[in-house]
Amino acid sequence: MAWQDYTHDMQRCTRCSYCKWIPYRYMRDTGFMEGCPSVSRYLWHAYSASGKFNMAYSLLQKRIEIDDIFLDVLYKCQMDGSCDISCKVQQDIEPLQLMQELRIKCVEDGQLVPAHMIVIDGLRKEDNMMQSKKQDRGRWVEGLGVKDFTSTTAEVIYHAGCRYSFDRDLWPVARGGLQLLLDAGVDVGVMGVEETCCGGRAYELGYAGELTKYAEHQIETFRTTSARTLVTPCSDCYACFKVLYDKIGKKPDIEVLHITHYLERLIKEGKLRLKKKVPIKVTYHDPCHLGRLGEPWVHWQGKEYKVMGQMIVHDPPKKFRRGAGGVYETPRNIIKSIPGLDFVEMYRSKEYAWCCGAGGGVIDAYPDYAAWTGAGRLKEAEAVGAEAIVSACPWCKRNFLDAAGETGNKIEVLDIIELVQRAI
Amino acid sequence: MAEKGLAGIVGGGNVLLETGVLDGYSRDASFLSGARPRCVVRPGNATEVQAIVKWAGEAQTPLVPVSSGPPHARGDTVPGVDGAVIIDLSRMKKIIRIDPCNKVAMVEPGVTFAELQPALAKEGLCAYMPLAPRAGKSVIGSVLEREPVTMPSHHWDSTDPLLCAEVVYGTGDRFRTGEASGPDTVEEQWEMGRVQLNPFGHSHIDFQRFLSGAQGTMGIVTWATLKCCYLSRLTRAWLVPSEGLGSLIDLAYRLLRFRLGGKLFILNATNLACLLDIDAADIKRRLAVLPPWVLFASFEGYGTLPVEKAAYEEADFLRMANEVGLSPQIAIPGASAEELLPLLSGPSPEPYWKSRARGGFQDIFFLSTSDRVPEFCTIISNLAERNRYAPEDIGVYLQPIVQGTACHCEFTLYYHPDKALESDATRLLMDAACEQILASGGFFSRPYPAWKKIAYRRAASTAAIQKKLKQIFDPEGILNPGKLCF
Amino acid sequence: MKLSNEEYKALEATVGPEYISQEPVIMDTYNQVWGNKFFFDEKHSVRPAAVLLPARPKEISEAVRVCNRYRILFKAFSSGFEYLSLSLMNSKSILFDLRRMNRIVEIDEKNMRAVVEPYVSVYRLQMEAAKKGLFTGRIGVGYSAGVIAAECCHHGCQHTMVFTSGYGRNVLGVEWVLPTGEILNVGTGEAGSDLFSADGPGFSLRGVLRGRTGANGGHGVITKASVKLYPWYGPKQWDHKKQPGEALSKGQLESVPDGYKVFVPTFQNLDDTLSASEDLCRAEILCAFGIAIVGTNPYSEGNDEDWAMMQKTAETRARDIDPAGGGVSIANSVVCVIGYQSPGEMEYKEKCLRKIAEQWGGTFYDNLNEPRALARAFADIMWSSGVNLRATGDFLPSSSSPDGSPEMLKRLALQEAEIKRRYEQAGAFLTLGSGARMVSWRPEEHLSIGAQGISTAQYDPYDPASLQAARKFINEIFDPRGQFNRYGVPSRGGCLQIEPVTHVHQNWGPRYDNYDMWLRKIKKMLDPNTVADWTAYIPPEYPDSPKDGDYVLPSYGKAEQL
Repeated sequence: MAWQDYTHDMQRCTRCSYCKWIPYRYMRDTGFMEGCPSVSRYLWHAYSASGKFNMAYSLLQKRIEIDDIFLDVLYKCQMDGSCDISCKVQQDIEPLQLMQELRIKCVEDGQLVPAHMIVIDGLRKEDNMMQSKKQDRGRWVEGLGVKDFTSTTAEVIYHAGCRYSFDRDLWPVARGGLQLLLDAGVDVGVMGVEETCCGGRAYELGYAGELTKYAEHQIETFRTTSARTLVTPCSDCYACFKVLYDKIGKKPDIEVLHITHYLERLIKEGKLRLKKKVPIKVTYHDPCHLGRLGEPWVHWQGKEYKVMGQMIVHDPPKKFRRGAGGVYETPRNIIKSIPGLDFVEMYRSKEYAWCCGAGGGVIDAYPDYAAWTGAGRLKEAEAVGAEAIVSACPWCKRNFLDAAGETGNKIEVLDIIELVQRAI
Repeated sequence: MAEKGLAGIVGGGNVLLETGVLDGYSRDASFLSGARPRCVVRPGNATEVQAIVKWAGEAQTPLVPVSSGPPHARGDTVPGVDGAVIIDLSRMKKIIRIDPCNKVAMVEPGVTFAELQPALAKEGLCAYMPLAPRAGKSVIGSVLEREPVTMPSHHWDSTDPLLCAEVVYGTGDRFRTGEASGPDTVEEQWEMGRVQLNPFGHSHIDFQRFLSGAQGTMGIVTWATLKCCYLSRLTRAWLVPSEGLGSLIDLAYRLLRFRLGGKLFILNATNLACLLDIDAADIKRRLAVLPPWVLFASFEGYGTLPVEKAAYEEADFLRMANEVGLSPQIAIPGASAEELLPLLSGPSPEPYWKSRARGGFQDIFFLSTSDRVPEFCTIISNLAERNRYAPEDIGVYLQPIVQGTACHCEFTLYYHPDKALESDATRLLMDAACEQILASGGFFSRPYPAWKKIAYRRAASTAAIQKKLKQIFDPEGILNPGKLCF
Repeated sequence: MKLSNEEYKALEATVGPEYISQEPVIMDTYNQVWGNKFFFDEKHSVRPAAVLLPARPKEISEAVRVCNRYRILFKAFSSGFEYLSLSLMNSKSILFDLRRMNRIVEIDEKNMRAVVEPYVSVYRLQMEAAKKGLFTGRIGVGYSAGVIAAECCHHGCQHTMVFTSGYGRNVLGVEWVLPTGEILNVGTGEAGSDLFSADGPGFSLRGVLRGRTGANGGHGVITKASVKLYPWYGPKQWDHKKQPGEALSKGQLESVPDGYKVFVPTFQNLDDTLSASEDLCRAEILCAFGIAIVGTNPYSEGNDEDWAMMQKTAETRARDIDPAGGGVSIANSVVCVIGYQSPGEMEYKEKCLRKIAEQWGGTFYDNLNEPRALARAFADIMWSSGVNLRATGDFLPSSSSPDGSPEMLKRLALQEAEIKRRYEQAGAFLTLGSGARMVSWRPEEHLSIGAQGISTAQYDPYDPASLQAARKFINEIFDPRGQFNRYGVPSRGGCLQIEPVTHVHQNWGPRYDNYDMWLRKIKKMLDPNTVADWTAYIPPEYPDSPKDGDYVLPSYGKAEQL
């Protein structure tokens, strides 16, 4: 659907502002009620999802044009979907999809964010979002002796993703995840230098063509490997493979799992034993792309009609994505199975978790804002008494490390892989 | 002749010119001296009131509305300027309607508590009572003055029990506030089930709030509807004696937190003795045995299960009292709940209870929160000592209001008016106390002449708006000039 | 209209460059709110020339003085979730978005009051107050709405008013930037004391602050208020739970919290329902009360599920609650919430409630009184929950329903229902069928000051036929010559009396003691330069002649350039 197709939703945004907050029924602490980093940081209503509906409607009616302010508002947003979840507690409209389509329109119109242009240029040349050289892609895995699909095959593809492939600080995590699979006897391999970006982050910046391109490429690659399962430790990649490819009609014929899925499976099968005590109080941060944005895509085609006079319903009934189908329990099950560990939830969790700050191209174009958002999450982790914040995505870990560095926050930032490693 | 014009409105017999009468209106029991009115006019209905106001506007003659009978004590009915006409509303004595179902009574300004209470009782209702008002006190006068009522749990808003009113503004316009407004007569409204119950103003304005606390400066009320209570079928009354005030305040907070109980207030021994005894000697004797402080609490049985209602409230009260280390009693040395209770449902028996100890009295009252009341007691006590006034002679009445969010603090200085030294000490103490109360955060919500200057010293912006409002509703400034900030 | 450089700079100096904007993209997000289509025939109302984000009253005061100097119109809002909350008379105007003023300044547990700034939402205060065993009541506009908006500025009320009152009766103090820029603290605030009384010295300026509705921005900016709190009998925190995989909208309390009990009796007919309701309210036992069903069904995900549920239950529901098939309508059910601080209190209140219900033939049907249904009803009735906008996209939260005596409200509602039925039968409004409630009122203070009448019509503003019907309906109800002109000025919501949309003040004032004359004088007195926007208040002078109540689209702002 193009952005104009959301006219109904633009009209029916009531300005209730629920998109700015987590759903009220789940509010626990008045210090942590906000849901949308963008409007929390930049204050103007435009920065909320409701504001985007308003902007789109004004654009539609030619009251405004896409200018630098429009782009600033549209892109100072992690596309984290918190607004979408909160809105849909009360409404049957699609704020996140409209925001996505507005970004696509901007790109189509050549209205681009300079920082993103650099990233996309890099992607087009080097097949990654990290402005790094393609030939360095497999370096993170050097010395592990793992199968490489360029020369052999395996049952499981371990897709590291751009962040893990090129962020040296995070290589130990990517390697650690792979090692856990290897140690459990999983027949796993990597794409090495041939691994490419999934295209998900480019799509979120509005570059829809890049998603299609990489989806087609990946599907073809998967087909040639004869692997049955794809495992990724990156939540962004997971959501892209699992949700976005399906959304654009390119669902891969391969089982797509986040590494937490696989680890949980190994634990259940007894192939991964978490025996060592890890006496630490941790909280879990739901990566947006594993949580609410990781909910499978729901295809719907039908029409709107009215019953009981004026009630708006759909034929066939439309199942809205309200975040419930995200991956929430799996990582928690893993964490809770670690002996000696004290697990505590943050006030905002699962569907209504606060974003780490890195999403939607924010970390590329507005690093200060990304750090500000991450710092808010670290503060929340501290508020619940956690000694460590655990996530399941390299983008979260990167951004939390940056935020901790900038704010002097001493909380330990861990990926779930690191936590599991400690328990072995 | 002005008087001729007035006589044309109300009839000659209702324009009073006798010197004695006029002298009576030119002063009251306060220390303030005022001006002598030129006459007293006694309208019998709203039409006459309206005509008088229009006449006064044309004649540029000040009007001082008075609804209560003498003796007055707060200076608000004493003309602030020369040449005023007293508009005495005591002839307007109709209890227009009592609606037992909706618990509402419509009365004219001349109706006193002594007249209203029996009429209400016949319908199973009773009035929101202030503490033993003087016999001539007008019900509407009391309500408009925001006199505190003794049932704080039922006191939702400072204007309670005022609901709707008919008022004649200084412009001569007749106006009905709240639900009473509209194209129909009140009788027609009754027929359609509209019983002048809802006080909320027209759209964006609550007009009745301009009348409450206005001392007759904004308009003259010709009738009002008042919230009433169910008449209790049984009452369980308790006295809680205490050497100190703190624990009693604690107990009051606990009760009000959950809106428990009916009547609830605190008196010191001096006031309790004055209430219970007529004779000064008896008061003295009683004082000797009474505890310094007494909280009175009643638990009212009415409604569907009156016995059960009073019983659970009483049980909770006893538990709460126990929690703060207090022992409620039916009777304490020098007093019993039973002898106090009848005094709380009507006006004070004559002589007025504050006149009994020494003949004269001066009240100082203001608002605070209950937790700060002990501070004020200390302040007044210290000031009394400094001003050669025996602190133990001061009466204290503490009345939580607006469901416990604030407290009416009333200090009564008893004195012999004919003893100059005592009068002087009282006057000095009053002035000093008012200053100190203001400085300590007490709030003179009801700025009677004795302390109006002090009250308005910290209300410059409020006064500025009030003056502009006054200009709207009384552009000629004919209504009780010299009062409030006018 | 753009402000001149000089004007903009003057305003900028009050809040700093970071907190003022005149960018069209930003401005056009400050003029779209529900209801606009009804009032203005388009979603956009007048675009403000600039929006300011002040943090302190002093900044607002200075900006308002600039407005006076340059004759710039201003209006303030907190969440902005109220129709006409953003409407402006002309485009040489600014809005104050008060979101930076978001402190709970104080909760005084003993004296049962809270002092808050404008962006503090009702639900946030409910959460904080509950920790101290206190409660601030529910309002009907949802959890993002501000405490100050509800208590001081708009029309905020709901089912808890039987116990927590409303309409400004809870205001104990106000800090107020007047249209002249002067900062007024009423009552104890100006005297330098704690904010425990807003009255005096002398008569109370709360009378100017608001009536049944607020000034909706028409007389300045409320920057702080002290509000009365009520007992909260429940826990300090509460959990709405849902099953994994269920949508968040499914989350609900599993049971009524300790400290409360909920009862849903059903009566044989409307008269018995209303009689029982009056007795229940006057018994002084209720913390919250709702006539007719207040959702005892599980929450739905969305309209489609609602529809499925309705289809499923429409045939069986009456039978479900009345196994004998006696034709009892669910509209004759009432929701009663009692709170208790002791077992004795609970026993008394429950016994009393049951006895009254019994006297009027009430039955407690199992499916309306099972734990989860009661928990759902409790949450709906006690907290600032959802909104009524999903079903059709909009609703008229008022027809003519005023506040008043219960009997009068009943007669009015029945007449009104007759009219509404015509539109429903034509398919213009949401139609709930014959089982729908006919009469509903929200009792105030145990019914001791009457009740607020309420009636809603749900329509789709983007369906031309539905929109036209909504306007025709309002025309009928608001016609000063019509059958409703004896029931009070139709002014619920502080909105529909907007001039010149319905000419309510102009048409109804002469019938109601010329109240509008006094109101206009007060407006003029407070705002000599007419800089506080009056689109949801009253103009100092009427711009044109009355239109006999016929719907008229506003003329202002139309010809102005963006």
